[in-house]
Amino acid sequence: MSKTVRYTALFVAIAAFAVLAAGCGSKKKSSSGSTTTTSSSGGSTGAVGSGSYDNGSPAKGGVYRIGWEASFGFTNNFDPTGEYLGNAWGLYSNLMLRSLVGYKHQPGAAGNELIGDLSTDVPTPTDGGLTYTYTLRSGIKFAPPVNRVVTSKDVAYAMNRLANPKDGGQYSFYYTVIKGWDAVANGKATSVSGITTPDDKTIVFHLTKAAGDFNLRMSMPATAPIPPEIGKCFEGKPGDYGRDVISNGPYMLKGSDAVTASCSALKPMSGYDGANGNHITLVRNPNYDQSTDSYRKNYPDSFRFVVNSNADDIFAKVQAGQLEDEVSSPAPKTVRAYATDPALKPRMIPNVGDRTNYFTMNLTQAPFDDVHVRRAMNWIVDKAALQKAWGGPIPGSIATHIVPPVLYNNGLAEYDPYSTPNNAGDQAKAAAEMKQSKYDPGKTGKCTASACKGVLVIADTRGVDTRMIPILEEDATKIGLTLKVRSINGAYTTIQTPAKNIPFSERPSWGKDYADPYTFFAELFDSGAIIKSGNTNYSLVGLTPAIASKVGATGNLTNVPTIDPDINACSAKLSGDRTACWENLDKKLMTTVVPWVPYLWPNNVFIVGPKVTHWNYDQFTDGPAFSSVSVKG
Amino acid sequence: MANPPEFQISSGGAVALQPVIVARKSPSRLFWERFRQDKAALAGAVVIGILILIAIFGGPLAEKITGHQQNSTYSQMTDAYGVPFGPNGQFWFGADAAGRDLFVRTMYGARTSLFVGIVASGIAVLIGLIVGLTAGFFGGIADTLLSRAADVLLAVPQILIAVGVVAACSTNKNGCLGGLLQPGLTVVIAVITIFSWSYIARIVRGYTLSLREKEFVESARAAGAGNVRILATEILPNLIGPLIVYSTLLIPTNILFEAALSYLGLGIPADQASWGSILSDAQQLYDVAWWLMLFPGAFLIVTTLAFNLLGDGLRDAFDVRSER
Repeated sequence: MSKTVRYTALFVAIAAFAVLAAGCGSKKKSSSGSTTTTSSSGGSTGAVGSGSYDNGSPAKGGVYRIGWEASFGFTNNFDPTGEYLGNAWGLYSNLMLRSLVGYKHQPGAAGNELIGDLSTDVPTPTDGGLTYTYTLRSGIKFAPPVNRVVTSKDVAYAMNRLANPKDGGQYSFYYTVIKGWDAVANGKATSVSGITTPDDKTIVFHLTKAAGDFNLRMSMPATAPIPPEIGKCFEGKPGDYGRDVISNGPYMLKGSDAVTASCSALKPMSGYDGANGNHITLVRNPNYDQSTDSYRKNYPDSFRFVVNSNADDIFAKVQAGQLEDEVSSPAPKTVRAYATDPALKPRMIPNVGDRTNYFTMNLTQAPFDDVHVRRAMNWIVDKAALQKAWGGPIPGSIATHIVPPVLYNNGLAEYDPYSTPNNAGDQAKAAAEMKQSKYDPGKTGKCTASACKGVLVIADTRGVDTRMIPILEEDATKIGLTLKVRSINGAYTTIQTPAKNIPFSERPSWGKDYADPYTFFAELFDSGAIIKSGNTNYSLVGLTPAIASKVGATGNLTNVPTIDPDINACSAKLSGDRTACWENLDKKLMTTVVPWVPYLWPNNVFIVGPKVTHWNYDQFTDGPAFSSVSVKG
Repeated sequence: MANPPEFQISSGGAVALQPVIVARKSPSRLFWERFRQDKAALAGAVVIGILILIAIFGGPLAEKITGHQQNSTYSQMTDAYGVPFGPNGQFWFGADAAGRDLFVRTMYGARTSLFVGIVASGIAVLIGLIVGLTAGFFGGIADTLLSRAADVLLAVPQILIAVGVVAACSTNKNGCLGGLLQPGLTVVIAVITIFSWSYIARIVRGYTLSLREKEFVESARAAGAGNVRILATEILPNLIGPLIVYSTLLIPTNILFEAALSYLGLGIPADQASWGSILSDAQQLYDVAWWLMLFPGAFLIVTTLAFNLLGDGLRDAFDVRSER
């Protein structure tokens, strides 16, 4: 290379970079839009609004297009028996599958109220809470190629499939209260003895012990009916049924009517292109009878979900009207762009997410084996800064305890056992707590023991993690903890393995499975939930030496607190003081056990396109109520 | 001693020439004379010198001047939505997404990038030298085994393997390989070294294959020198030039490798600034926070370009056959 060329290369490279960077810095013009919005939600103050958006009159017709970030991320390839992804539930519950009981697909508390869906109503348990009898509604038929009326035996078949581990059920633990469930799970029986179908319209569940939320458990998509003539084609093949899901709701996978109901001839439907696919297309189910359904409106003629790896591109297309909706998370810059532009602002709809983001502390690992250190962490963390790292008040409100108040019917809304000025942390109170710790023998208000140096923290590599970690490190330093942060792409795998003895993680977030606090306490704090891999009781609450040995966890196993009896007691309550029982358990966890530092109750922020005429939030699925949305044709 | 006259033509028909006196120059002098004429290479060397000074003193100095610690967050430097503000009188390069001083972090980033680049390249060169010398000089089965091992490494998808190694070594306090590989810089350097030495080994092997057939090696062998002596005194000195050249070209490659790993969120701890990790953070904000890309990106470009210019210059200066 000649000198001239080299100098030129140097100059051009720097100049080009400067120009590129400057160009990128120019402000994006916002679309002026032509909205005739009649209601708006959210605002710069971050208040969650009505959870709905109207821009004209909803009407039948059109294609509703949704950008889905990165990948579908299905946990069981869209096979409802094992599918545990909330976004998949949004499709099932709104558009494809009608379970015995369901929801109104509305925002707020109303959206968490049960209604009869496939069943005529929500049954009242008999026999002291041990028997539930559902009567099926008339006129509900399966989509092609099955084309027949749904019967109680189809529900029983789906439940048996869920009980059989070979068919991939991922939340079958919710149903172990059904008599005979374990026998199927252990391979000793082929059908659950506690499920009976006296006739085609009746199904009865016999429980071994009372479960006050059993009706709620029967709202989950895995319990929706599966026609045995199709289901048998996929026995022992978890996930494969995902490409041939038979709908009994208003929409079905495109291509359902182009396959035949014979195992030997059954091909995957064209509406879903498989585990690594990038699209799902749903079209109207010709066998659906609107008169059987009071809550689904079913405006669009079809829905098209398309994967896009670039979130910025998704939001640009939504803004430009090339997409109607998104399954993504707007970055702070996107939230700011919409919150500060009056023309765009109505199209951003923040909604309560029924979810808690938290730091988890392992009760067996120093220094978090000392409750005073755990409490000091709760006092010192600057939750306001963390909220800002997430994008400010619109993406979420500051969490003060375990379960979001919406699941207590807004109970504990004011409960904040670690209240600090402006939610910015309180060093004096943290120091006072730390002085009581064995790791602060000199009563300095800071952890001086070697256990507090280089405390391993597992973080993820998302953008928000890189913004939170400096805040966390600064806060921890104030009480004498220095952190050794390991950022891992997909941190869950690591923190879900008890044998790795991770003391602290900033990654966890938990959302409800259904509208009952049980779905938090049972999976996050019950000792029975501690498993070798995929564990969700990250703090190892209730860990005993026997369980520790089984899962390979080591550490300080003396006096690890347990709340198993409390969970069982609250779970058995049918009504009345059930909510109060959970609230008291929440308080106990926050003050006595202290496994977490909860810091954010995230809102689910959705941005809709200019052609959308109606949108509302579905509180059950924590996503768009696809059954109510409409788009200009 | 003066050089003898090269030729003379007798009088009576021709010109009588005076003896031509040519000063004898050592190889190093010849090298320097050629190198100093290459202004681009000299500029590269100066820039590298400055960058090394920045790497050593820049971070602490920047902290002292600005009063901002590299990991301290400043809430006034992010707006209500958590979007950072750009350069101003106190924050010369603006703030990053967490509200930290980007100027201070960019200065500390120089330390990480240069440290990783130089140390990883140094180790890679040492391993490559030993492997290449052994393979090229002894040939036979040693050559086959070592060369194939290098070929295998060249065929491996580096980023994928790096992701695996870094992840495997970063999920517990003690790292992996019994604590030999500690999470953080050590793992990153190890990963980069693993994938870098094979290039050097192939080059050294090629040179060694050629050199071992030279007359001066035969002479040494005839004089009774053993393999070790021949390697140390006859082969190795002739490899110094190429090694220096390829080292200077390997360093920027490895700096970019580190940046790529950090960009993917691997290896370098979050509390340790590196240009790659700053650029990684900029992904989500580049269109509203241009400074996040401009400053670390410019430093990265200037650094790699400086090393490349220096490497080019060194190659030209060592290699008399190269065109200028």
